[in-house]
Amino acid sequence: MSIRGSLYKLSKIDHLQEKFNIFTSINQNIKNELQPCDKPLANLLVGIKDNIVTKDLPTTCASGILEGYKSPFDATVVTLLKDAGVVVIGKTNMDEFGMGSGGTHSKFGVTYNPMFLDEKVVVGGSSSGSAAAVASDVVDFALGTDTGGSVRIPAAYTSTFGFKPSYGRLSRFGVIAYAQSLDTVGIITKDIEMIKKVFRVLDKYDAKDPTSLTDDLRSKAPSLASKTKNQLKIGIPQEFMLQNISKQVNSVLMTVIDKILEQGHEICPVSIPMIKYSLPIYYTLAPAEAASNLSRYDGIRYGYRDTEKDIYEDTLFVPTRANFGKEVKNRILLGNYNLCSGAFRNNFLKAQKLRNQLINEFDNVFSVPNILTNNKPKDDGVDLLLSLSCMTPPPTVNNFMEQDAKTPVNSYINDSFTIPMSLAGLPCISIPVKNNVGIGVQLTGQFADDECVLDAAQRFT
Amino acid sequence: MLLIRRLYSSRRGSGGVKFLPEYKLKCGLEIHSQLNTKNKLFSMSTNDPFHAANNPNYHTSYFDVSLPGTQPKLNYEAVLFASKLCLALQCDINLNSQFDRKHYFYGDQPLGYQITQHYKPFAKGGQLIMYRDLDNIDEVMKRIEIVQIQIEQDTGRSLYAGSETGTLIDLNRSNVPLIELVTKPQFNDVKQVCAFIKKYQNLLRHLKISTGDLETGAMRVDVNLSVNGNARVELKNLPNTSSIRNAIICEYQRQVDIIRCGKAEELLSEPQTRGWTGSETVKLRSKETTIDYRYMPDPELPKVTLSSDVLTGVASELPELPDAILTKLLSKPYSMSLKDAKLLTTNSSSHTNLYSTPELQEFYMKTFEEFCKFNGSIIESKLPANWIIHELLGNLNKLRIPLSEASKILDPKTFGEFLNLIYRKSISKASGKLLLFYVLNNFKTSGFTDLQGINFEGLIAEYELNPLNQVDETQLQGICEEILNGVDDGVRRDIISGKKKNAIHFLVGQGMKLSQGRIEAPLLENTFKKILGIKK
Repeated sequence: MSIRGSLYKLSKIDHLQEKFNIFTSINQNIKNELQPCDKPLANLLVGIKDNIVTKDLPTTCASGILEGYKSPFDATVVTLLKDAGVVVIGKTNMDEFGMGSGGTHSKFGVTYNPMFLDEKVVVGGSSSGSAAAVASDVVDFALGTDTGGSVRIPAAYTSTFGFKPSYGRLSRFGVIAYAQSLDTVGIITKDIEMIKKVFRVLDKYDAKDPTSLTDDLRSKAPSLASKTKNQLKIGIPQEFMLQNISKQVNSVLMTVIDKILEQGHEICPVSIPMIKYSLPIYYTLAPAEAASNLSRYDGIRYGYRDTEKDIYEDTLFVPTRANFGKEVKNRILLGNYNLCSGAFRNNFLKAQKLRNQLINEFDNVFSVPNILTNNKPKDDGVDLLLSLSCMTPPPTVNNFMEQDAKTPVNSYINDSFTIPMSLAGLPCISIPVKNNVGIGVQLTGQFADDECVLDAAQRFT
Repeated sequence: MLLIRRLYSSRRGSGGVKFLPEYKLKCGLEIHSQLNTKNKLFSMSTNDPFHAANNPNYHTSYFDVSLPGTQPKLNYEAVLFASKLCLALQCDINLNSQFDRKHYFYGDQPLGYQITQHYKPFAKGGQLIMYRDLDNIDEVMKRIEIVQIQIEQDTGRSLYAGSETGTLIDLNRSNVPLIELVTKPQFNDVKQVCAFIKKYQNLLRHLKISTGDLETGAMRVDVNLSVNGNARVELKNLPNTSSIRNAIICEYQRQVDIIRCGKAEELLSEPQTRGWTGSETVKLRSKETTIDYRYMPDPELPKVTLSSDVLTGVASELPELPDAILTKLLSKPYSMSLKDAKLLTTNSSSHTNLYSTPELQEFYMKTFEEFCKFNGSIIESKLPANWIIHELLGNLNKLRIPLSEASKILDPKTFGEFLNLIYRKSISKASGKLLLFYVLNNFKTSGFTDLQGINFEGLIAEYELNPLNQVDETQLQGICEEILNGVDDGVRRDIISGKKKNAIHFLVGQGMKLSQGRIEAPLLENTFKKILGIKK
């Protein structure tokens, strides 16, 4: 990217920030950081989700509890990008600690969808600011994190590409944990080539991250060679064909299917029955991990401190913790409930067991083996799975908040298509569909088969 | 600064107590020991909380202080140390153990949870056996079985002194590796408990995996206790052996009193946790205020997988265990006294720096071997013990010379030769002592640089230290008479009359001094007796 092009993008930043509330903080030193160089991603502008630590800008997770927090170190993914010549333009708004699918649960306020200029429409979450930054062209690409759909949903709502790599391929060191058995750093951009370029820079083993995929395992990943075959076999999980999806949305999926068939690929139905338990599994495990991870924000070290009431004897929940937002509090309570000694066996352990069964069922539809489970691949299995990314186009902010206020379950359902893949750690991407703003389809590959997913995404758009 | 409430309690005196057969004591122990690995359990910070006490929060990484975005990385040295201990205790090591999070809020625990092993601990089973002959217990033998052993993180330290209103937090100790051992409740008296702690402490030191020091907090003991099958009481905050001992006695007495008053149903039916004030136990927690730790498998730490080959390798590298060495030293050919043998096998706390127990043990064994070479199987087994443990160590302590330095000139071979000279009476014991001190003192004066080999026979000849076995009769008589002339008549009379029989030893001493120890004591004694007309 030319420096001039980057400067042009920058000239619009204040206006866009005011209009869509994209950033939680903006780098004031960008013009000095843009320097001629021949690095692979020289002078590209990136927006970093505000749960990925940076030493030059605050990292707040859009939470009052981390207000003003500045990390003394950069996350590994940030370091890799900087080393490749990327310039960080700012930290992007998000649902607090990654909890939400609308981009509405933020201490910094709602982020609005730049694709809809006439009314205030939800941008999707939790990587709301990252998607908005890409959609409004203020950055070349953005990093988000995806725990149950947080990159793919806002990408679908903004008609951008939202790529969630296989769990463990991108380092999580410096990513503030929501539920780290699921948390994955993802890339959002308008250009599939750009995703590939950025992914090549970030796709590295990191000794600092205990869940980073080792070089040994990476070398066992399904080889790209076998996937450059002309005809792909693509499965459509029957469990995703839900009754309550509108004709309009379904027809988008049909458009893509037609295109895929036209290119000479094969499409077939597959069945993964455990998919229907994905939501309960996710909403048992993720909040439990969250309750545990967020217990370090105990009112002693971060943000505001209530010095009076915090030190009363037997205070179980210190008043300082009131700085968490409503959805975070909901999930901390839910998580702790499932971790209590009385409930653990029946809830948490059962969910873990079901999660493994789900992974086994996924393994049973793919044509290549899962390098982690060593389950046998299916002889006539599929190369990819195809589904919608979301059940509906993005609702208006008012409508979303109204539904969310009735019961959080209404927004939890938004993640139905994205959560199963997160539970299995599979690589997937939400791709835009021409002439259908706000609706995306999702391609999913076998674990570690990220190249196949990216290749197909390029072919199908 | 950080604020946390302090707990205060009142005090009450306590008296002595006897363990009565009708009130049956059942005790179990939970012992936490810091592993002395180079780095901490899940970070690369230096693991040295004790020596860094004056530099609070010095050995801390971003992970140790729980900064957002940091992650744990397991230090496999801790796993190796734990394996050594578990093999020594004959535990079944879990080839797939896992880390769990134990949640509770406390100022010195920055994560809000402790990483420990709850659902799948590192090892289960195993035992430590104590013997009357070796461990000073009343039973011939007492076997204590182990429930489990787990690896976990230590917390930081809360310092209450120096601030009226707040608590100071030192995170040097945060994330230091701990090993927790849990025994079955198989102790029946306090003697067994003390013997177990001593023996376990010695094992940790012997394996070089922990300093085992109670006084620095490197080892911490919690006691579970019940009387006559009533509910279990946990005793915490017991900083040293005497408080462990006294707390058990006090708590036993308290429960016996309750049972005697017929109030056991009311007061001893629910588990509780009690602390120790120094003179009595006080209630800390009961069922109503018990914390639910909400244990959760850590979602990002991989399982600790070990292959049995690795364990076989570790087992083959284990040193001979203290009991085996002790038994060996007590039997032929060493035939040491229990006291001396213990000195060679009991690893003292880390503070004595002139020699380590294994070092001394090795020196002893090798010297013994060299000494035996001169004499085949007929040897005087007490001689090496006397000269190494008492004379040599005595001199090293007096002159502050580390054994490692001393053995540069006095290696086992040389010392074995020296012992043989004494054994063959080539030099008297008295002269030998002087010579040993002389040699060591010279070496020290040279700044440990004079590394010339020591030729004892040459020195003996040079300083004419060879004993005068064939002393000229008249010369001997002359020496003795000279000494007798120097004492007053009263003393002479008392010796002759037998009133002060032992005063003759004083005369002998004078004789040895005059001859620089070259005339053997019995020779002098006989001559004195002859002169004074005392019958043998």
